[in-house]
Amino acid sequence: MKARLSNSSPALAWLVSVVVAVAFLAPLLWMVLASFREEGRIFHFTSENWFTTDGWTFANYADAWRRAALGGGLLVSLLQVALVAGIGLVVNAAAAYAFARLEFRGRDLLFAGVVILIILPVEVLAVPMFFTARDLGLTGGFGAALAGLTVPFLAKAFNIYFLRQHFLSLPQELEESAALEGAGAWRQFWSLALPAVRPALATVVLLDLLAHWGDFLWPLMISTREETRTVQLSLANLFTAPPIQWGDILACAVLATLPVIALFRFFQRHIVPSEARAGIK
Amino acid sequence: MTSWKKAQSRAAPWFLLPALALLAMFVVWPMLRAFGWSFTNADLLAPEQARWSGLDNYSDLLADPRFRRAFGNTALFALLVVPIQTVLAFLLALWVNRPEPAWRWLRAAFFLPVIVSMPVLAVLWTILYQPAHGGETGLVNAALSLVGLPAQAWLRDPHLALPAIAAMSIWQGVGLQMMVFLAGLQGVSRELLDAARIDGATAGQRVRHIVVPALRNTIVFVITVTTILAFRIFVQPYLMTRGGPGNSTLTVVQSIYEITFLSQNLGRACAATLLFLLLVGGLTLLQRRFTREERT
Repeated sequence: MKARLSNSSPALAWLVSVVVAVAFLAPLLWMVLASFREEGRIFHFTSENWFTTDGWTFANYADAWRRAALGGGLLVSLLQVALVAGIGLVVNAAAAYAFARLEFRGRDLLFAGVVILIILPVEVLAVPMFFTARDLGLTGGFGAALAGLTVPFLAKAFNIYFLRQHFLSLPQELEESAALEGAGAWRQFWSLALPAVRPALATVVLLDLLAHWGDFLWPLMISTREETRTVQLSLANLFTAPPIQWGDILACAVLATLPVIALFRFFQRHIVPSEARAGIK
Repeated sequence: MTSWKKAQSRAAPWFLLPALALLAMFVVWPMLRAFGWSFTNADLLAPEQARWSGLDNYSDLLADPRFRRAFGNTALFALLVVPIQTVLAFLLALWVNRPEPAWRWLRAAFFLPVIVSMPVLAVLWTILYQPAHGGETGLVNAALSLVGLPAQAWLRDPHLALPAIAAMSIWQGVGLQMMVFLAGLQGVSRELLDAARIDGATAGQRVRHIVVPALRNTIVFVITVTTILAFRIFVQPYLMTRGGPGNSTLTVVQSIYEITFLSQNLGRACAATLLFLLLVGGLTLLQRRFTREERT
């Protein structure tokens, strides 16, 4: 950490920061606390209401799980994220490797064509993509909807671009020596290049995880049946369908958050700090 | 090209095929089809019966007060979010950029809302913004009354709904931009800062004359990316206000969604999509141009 600017006492700076951070996180802290409160005690901001042993309950969690059919919602979301991030990683890394390391006619033109697709975010693509997904039957029952939630997002222009940068920075000598031992292109890619860019792979998985766990617009179009709802749609449904039970909604929000935090922590460990810089291109 | 390289390169099509086929099928082809439909009166349920209508969809959209309102709201949202979030993220990054390991926890704290999904936060903040009713109120009003300020209706007030959503969005996204600034700060010369301090430069002067120029690239990146993200806003108004009260939080993406599924007017929805692409794509190209020029 260079470029420190403040001369103030570290202890004082730390104290001020902790106070600011707690205030900053107050909405999330309150979300967790309130999710254990009985209905009718959630919106009363008096000390008698909160600093008491009365009125705490686990019932919101049981009710939220049942009413929002969270078992199904979590399953759909976990499958969606795992499939997009997992299969997508191989699909995009393979293309990125070809653009970085193999030589073929029209490579640069093709790559430029892929890069231009980065300007299309899901909000732009949603309506046009929906018709292709519908024509291909990627909506409806569980399997079809799961395919609809995942297949269109396996190949990502940005991920190809990002991984190519990292393959380019690998030393060529590694592959030359492997080639002398008779390793084919796929083996070089799979056993040499991929492990060498592990932090970049973890970054791509994290980006996919955050993007698709929080997906809303696309599942809204694709997951039209109850059994195909993602966890966010389950939450939105609990939030809008009467009877409105605030405790249940808050418990559901907590349950929709825990898996993504756990997964984030897990993959974050594979990223070295310098990795953060590679995103700034 | 060495002989092994030549042999290996014969495998190139197999490496490329899955990704390129998927991109062609789910990105290029749908966009081309949308481009075609945008000049027709295509209907959601029977797009194949579309008839040519020239530029009607585009001119209708540009004249449509609802779409114009949606565009204005989205621009206003970006105007609120981009400067405030960028400045806050910059200041936060300067503040938490310290070597002691304990500061990792602080950085993690400010980053946490980025990990929590937007739909969850939209639902949560709707609850936090609950207006006062009887003895009950949301956390935001409770915090206001703690410092002696009057309660507000927030999301139900046509003048406050959009700023309230903007405030919540800034809170959610500031940690991400803080991390980008932190990464940029690692490239600022420590020696230069120390020398400036010894020469008597104040913290403000050091930021203005050393840190800001060194981070120019990062600042441009953050501003343009935040602008693009702001224009893509959909989840917050969809869940928090449904575009209300009185269309005060209707955004471009939501109006495209409505034109598609409520009006079922596919042709017009595609025209709106392309207008939206022109905006977002233009911003992206602008950003890439800016940062590339700085690099060379």
